[in-house]
Amino acid sequence: MTGDNGPMTALRAPFTTLALRRAVFCVLGVVSAAAILSAPALGPALGVLFLWATGALSDQPAPAVAPVFLFLVPLTVALLVVLAAPIGRAMGAVHRALAGRLLDVHVDAPPPRPSRRLGAVVSDGPGWRAVGYGLLKVPLAIPQGYGAFCYVFGLANLSYPLWWPLFRNHPAGTRLGPVWALTPFGAIGTRTFAGTFLIAAAGLAMLLVAPWLMRAGTTLDVAAMRRLLGPRRLAERVRELQLTRARAIDDAAAMMRRLERDLHDGAQIRLATLALNLGMATEKLGADGPPPDLAQARELVALAHRGAKEALADLRDLVRGIHPPVLDNGLGDALATLATNSAIPVAVTVDLPDRPAPAIETVAYFCASELLANAAKHSRATRIALGVVRSGERLTVTVEDDGVGGADPAGPGLSGLARRIAVVDGRMRVRSPDGGPTRVDIELPTHV
Amino acid sequence: MRVVIAEDAAMMREGLVRLLTDRGFEVCAAVADADALRSAVAATVPDVAVIDIRMPPTHTDEGLRAAIDIRRDQPDVGVLVFSQYVETRYATRLLADRPTGVGYLLKDRVADVADFVDALTRVASGGTALDPEVVGHLMRAGRDTAGLASLTPREREVLSLMAEGRSNAGIAAALVITAGVVEKHVASIFAKLGLPSSDGDNRRVLAVLRHVGGG
Repeated sequence: MTGDNGPMTALRAPFTTLALRRAVFCVLGVVSAAAILSAPALGPALGVLFLWATGALSDQPAPAVAPVFLFLVPLTVALLVVLAAPIGRAMGAVHRALAGRLLDVHVDAPPPRPSRRLGAVVSDGPGWRAVGYGLLKVPLAIPQGYGAFCYVFGLANLSYPLWWPLFRNHPAGTRLGPVWALTPFGAIGTRTFAGTFLIAAAGLAMLLVAPWLMRAGTTLDVAAMRRLLGPRRLAERVRELQLTRARAIDDAAAMMRRLERDLHDGAQIRLATLALNLGMATEKLGADGPPPDLAQARELVALAHRGAKEALADLRDLVRGIHPPVLDNGLGDALATLATNSAIPVAVTVDLPDRPAPAIETVAYFCASELLANAAKHSRATRIALGVVRSGERLTVTVEDDGVGGADPAGPGLSGLARRIAVVDGRMRVRSPDGGPTRVDIELPTHV
Repeated sequence: MRVVIAEDAAMMREGLVRLLTDRGFEVCAAVADADALRSAVAATVPDVAVIDIRMPPTHTDEGLRAAIDIRRDQPDVGVLVFSQYVETRYATRLLADRPTGVGYLLKDRVADVADFVDALTRVASGGTALDPEVVGHLMRAGRDTAGLASLTPREREVLSLMAEGRSNAGIAAALVITAGVVEKHVASIFAKLGLPSSDGDNRRVLAVLRHVGGG
């Protein structure tokens, strides 16, 4: 039976094993909410028990034992602060297990605590998130408890007409007290067999409502569990890594395509033309003896010569685009070379105590190259400052010009740059108000 | 002989025009994209069109598609498709109907002017010119299935040259042997592969290509 053929499903809903499991989960939810609510009172209550057991409470007047509580209350608070996270973790584990067993909902465990030191225990993020779940459990237990109540007492009320003939078969005229039944609208009492059918009807109504209440309660609970008891940060990180990995793959594929295109339309066609010209020149020179057409041959060789030089220039540009050889000497040299090729004067300051990872140097170089090219194309600037500084484990590349501004971080150039930077966990900040100036800061890790 | 050239790289196009004019061809049109090629061929009805496979706007296989259209619409126009790399699949598509008046060469081949002009003339007069590179692919692919293993190395050379579209005389010149020896090799190859012997060069190419899986 599918879920959407209405009345039959609604009638069957209370009598499925799922409903029973939900009822158990809801009852346990109410129990744990009660336990969580009573946790802060545990210390003082134990104190009272101790005083009562030793007889102090009956012998001493209240003011004499009051100082004990002045001590017990802060002690409880301190204990709660220290123990909250580990208790939260344990309670979270229990609830994840309950959800897995009873609701078939599997919530992954958060990463384990890094160490057993007090600092790590108190500042344990997943532990405190589990505490948050515990506090949320109290309001969540209200629909759960209500649903479980309707379920259990609905079943009980439905059975009243069965019990009546069994236990109320007294001789006629015997006067008895009414029997009572609990409903959400208060207790109903009856003295007649007919009245038990009213109770049974109320029971049926409760039973029909119960699955939906319990479902609402458990659905909210499961949502809270996924948020607070699961490995949230890690999952986010995984998503982020998946995204950047996909971008890295796309970028690599795009780069290969561009490379193929550059070679195909550049050096390859030049070399093919060069071969063609040399082939024609060979014919003009003839196999042996005096050349049949020396002038044409000379012209063709000159053409081929020029073609060869152009092919070389093409290849040189391409090679520099793949990996500038000067980058092997370090970012400082590479950026200085880059600056000398810029149409706008560039002041370069590189302050690096040691060399970052080669991949980071490459990313930093291409960012600087792209930003300088952008500035040359769009900014109408008269000077550019290009700086690289190291702070801790991060490296910041700054390109600032005195141009007209208005650079769009969402444009194809800058967003492409941001994608490449994100792959190595870097960040880019663009400030470019209309009218200028433009400043772009790129922060990169020193090692991948 | 009248030629239309379609090639998007200007220097290559100019080189081809120069080469073919020099060799006595009449270049009716030299264009840079597939649409211009279609209208030029329709307008001038050349003997043969030299077509670069990769042209604007998508730089994928415009030239090939234009070549297939031309072969369908104007069967008398030979098409010589050329590109910087060869794809066996392209060759298969090009040869799909009939292996007549069609060629598929690497661009590198223009360097050997005499061979290139020979191939172009063959295609213009209804023959076939397949790049040795394409034939090599097909032969390697058919090595196990087509029984090529039973051929002697010399017979395999002859088979490759046949597949390229060369005549017996052309094969004899390429291998520096006499025409009679070539004929003996050809007969032996057809017997070993179980192919019906055929007289015309074109039907022979078709049989060989079908056999190795290219047609």
